[in-house]
Amino acid sequence: MNVKNLFNPRNILILIGVGIALAIPLIFNASQYVMLLMTTVLLYAILASAWNIIGGMAGQLDLAAAAYLGLGAFTTGTLLIRWNITPWVGMFLGGLVATALAMLIGFPLFGFKVKELWYALSSSALVVVLQSLFMMWNEVGGPTEKYLPIGTSPWYSLRFNDYMPYYYLMLIILVVVLLVNRWIRYSKLGYSLLALGEDEDAVEVLGVNSQSSKLKALAIYAFICGVVGGIFASIYGYVHPAFFDTSMSMEIAILGIVGGMGFIYGPALAAIVMVSFREVLRASLGSQLAGLYLAVYAIILIVVALYQPRGIAPLVERGIKKAQTYFVELTRGRRADIKSH
Amino acid sequence: MFETATQGIITGILMGAIYALIALGLSIVFGIMNVTNFAHGDFVMLSMYLSFAVGSALAWDAVATPLITAPLMFLFGIITYYLLIDRTLRQMYVVQLAVTVGLQILMRSAALIIWQAQPRALQYSFIQGNIQIGDFQILTSRLFSAVVSLIFIAGMAYFLSKTWAGRAMRAASDDLGAASLMGVNYHKTYALTFAIGSSITALAGGLVMSFQQTDPVGGIRFGLLSWAVLALAGLGSLPGLIVAGIIVGVVESLTVSFFDPRSRLLGVYAIFILVLWLRPRGLFGRR
Repeated sequence: MNVKNLFNPRNILILIGVGIALAIPLIFNASQYVMLLMTTVLLYAILASAWNIIGGMAGQLDLAAAAYLGLGAFTTGTLLIRWNITPWVGMFLGGLVATALAMLIGFPLFGFKVKELWYALSSSALVVVLQSLFMMWNEVGGPTEKYLPIGTSPWYSLRFNDYMPYYYLMLIILVVVLLVNRWIRYSKLGYSLLALGEDEDAVEVLGVNSQSSKLKALAIYAFICGVVGGIFASIYGYVHPAFFDTSMSMEIAILGIVGGMGFIYGPALAAIVMVSFREVLRASLGSQLAGLYLAVYAIILIVVALYQPRGIAPLVERGIKKAQTYFVELTRGRRADIKSH
Repeated sequence: MFETATQGIITGILMGAIYALIALGLSIVFGIMNVTNFAHGDFVMLSMYLSFAVGSALAWDAVATPLITAPLMFLFGIITYYLLIDRTLRQMYVVQLAVTVGLQILMRSAALIIWQAQPRALQYSFIQGNIQIGDFQILTSRLFSAVVSLIFIAGMAYFLSKTWAGRAMRAASDDLGAASLMGVNYHKTYALTFAIGSSITALAGGLVMSFQQTDPVGGIRFGLLSWAVLALAGLGSLPGLIVAGIIVGVVESLTVSFFDPRSRLLGVYAIFILVLWLRPRGLFGRR
């Protein structure tokens, strides 16, 4: 790799993206509203990127993101409220609880080869089941919000007065999740998962254990959702069974699909574009008619899904290709350079 | 104890017949077109709102409103089919999920815009009141709804097996290529199928409105309930659908009377998950 290759359009785009992401709090710090919005966008980007592992790579249409998120939130919240255990520990335990439940559910589901629609429905049902259970479990959940104490140190209880620390925390996690995505994609697990998506029986004959590959993907996804759930509880300052939200889970899956299944950055990109757009719509239309912004948002989702069924990532790829050609010609590179990318 | 159980079973059977009717709409669309409509529960929700609108505007009884709402939902089904569903048939499976979930968000927010968030209910129906048999009570409105549901399902079985349109629908489900060669236009057949599925929710919505209220997120419950009934019944057997609907209704009703009203869906999901694990093609399914 020479210096010239370092400055290809893809790396420049990544650099610009990271630069903007780091600079946003400095620009908007005056407005807490914008910071919360950007933190929410990052939250969706993380969840959609995590979904890419189970949905995009393992091909299981999981609709249970909020189930794992809620478990992480309740674990973290309950540990802090009852035993004053810091969320820095709680969020990882939350991730482990989410993973444990995912294994419990996933082991028989993948063992019995429950797929596509039926997997989607059973995962969607899981969210509703957990919501009912936590609604009835008064010690931990119940119909009223359980507030997290602020305590003596905001760093210990992870309860800040402004959203900037949360924003950077989410940004770090997003980068980690994207790197995990990349690592899985080019590992043995990633190749097994992609092959399973093509022809499960053929791959099993070649000695890949489909159940354990899918379980690994599900475990990583559930763990990420659980950890993020812990931070989610800290941001909002309470835990409530409404965290088990079927609509949110479906939206995560749709962002993964609309982003471009299998593209590492696709779901995050879709989340950044669509969720920012949704929030802007909410800010401009929400005051006039409740629900209008969601209607417009839904129409755009449908149009993107119908007319760009492979997602928006391929569009970006085409743009990058064009830029690359232009770039190479600009720096008087040879045609062979284009082909090598 | 015994009395509570019997009362619960009676209520459950009556509700189960309506669940079977709701699941019939889904079963026809899924079984014949292999289209997974994640918004099916929201079709029921929309139908209930239309019943509310018609019933309160014309001062009609809830059970009479399907006379107007069924044609409206038929039209809505045709429009939805040509605008959305038809374009997803040749796409990847996930596109259908994305589009129907998008439709679900759209319908929910449309209901929120038009009728606001508070629950809506119609005036008491003329079939209000109850029949006393020994120690047990049967709500007349539910009995009426259950009987209408069963009659309609029987009628649908006749339509599918004896009329040309019904046979074309089943032929398209068995072998699309061969059916096309025999002169079945699958776009038209599918549009008709989807529209029938959609107008069945209008009938169900009108019946349910005679004893329940509706709100914009009510679709979640009906959607998952009807998938559970369908999973239990399997595809292709209408009597199976009735039995499955009744099982789901009874389980729901018993959970409510013996455990906790807030847990009404837990038992239903337990069945759903068990069926998926142990008998993926359902109790009566042919495939």
